[in-house]
Amino acid sequence: MDATGNPYRIYRVTWIILLIITVAMLASESFHLPRIFLIVFLLAFMMVKASMIGGNFMHLRYERPSLAVMVAAGILVTSLILYSFISREFRHIVERLSN
Amino acid sequence: MTQAEAAAHVPALEAHWGGGASPFGATWQKTMMWIFIVTDGLLFSGLLCGYGFVRHVSPVPWPHQSEVFSIPFIALMTFILITSSMTMGTAVTAARLGDRRRAINNLIFTIVGGFSFLACQAYEWTHLIREGARLTGNPWGPPQFTQSFFILTGFHGSHVFSGLVILIITVIRAAMGKTPAQGVELAGLYWHFVDLVWVFIFTLFYLL
Repeated sequence: MDATGNPYRIYRVTWIILLIITVAMLASESFHLPRIFLIVFLLAFMMVKASMIGGNFMHLRYERPSLAVMVAAGILVTSLILYSFISREFRHIVERLSN
Repeated sequence: MTQAEAAAHVPALEAHWGGGASPFGATWQKTMMWIFIVTDGLLFSGLLCGYGFVRHVSPVPWPHQSEVFSIPFIALMTFILITSSMTMGTAVTAARLGDRRRAINNLIFTIVGGFSFLACQAYEWTHLIREGARLTGNPWGPPQFTQSFFILTGFHGSHVFSGLVILIITVIRAAMGKTPAQGVELAGLYWHFVDLVWVFIFTLFYLL
């Protein structure tokens, strides 16, 4: 329940913010930003959206930190490991080390 | 290590263990649902990493998404899914507060949203297949492009479908007064996860 006492308000506010962020992401291409800025901008907004869904919709912000850490760290760390294993750079490093 | 030595270590371990009987402060059902969500998240993480890799190593330039997809249509699908997450959250809170009518109404809105999303996805797939998109090739360039598209959106769509089955069972049981608030909450966690995955697919596949 938020400060106004309306237990449903958080969902409406989150919904509006998510929609605004989505529109901003869609509009970002029309600004003709350099590619690297566009990537950073989109990834940052993607993480904000993911945090809002996890925190407000899935109630992670009300759970014990241990649960949130288990979820976020588990997925993030494993994703990094997965990507490093399959990326070309990693294969090149392994080849260089083995030669 | 002998049994006696192992027994001697137990007090030391207990002294550092502050989690008690419930380290996550959640019921076993909720903890299991979270563990399932993490493992399912790893499936999509693997798929997205694979997509990133095949795109990175593709010898043929990756097609520009706005030339292949109707981005406003994808935005509509995103809007539908985000809205259904909002109604799902409302249903969970209503169930927790004992407002059964509001919970059921919002569960029905969520189901309508889910079916609308699937209908949009079916339309998008049909449209692209008619234009020549196949798992083995496509008119826009590298075959990995449509492979990634069908695998990512196909897996996500199958999750939306299974989420809908869970929601339909939940709403029927809630109408009969057989689903406790926690049952709605667990169904909600799965539905929000489906929305969460779409955030990543939408950004990494359709926009970047």
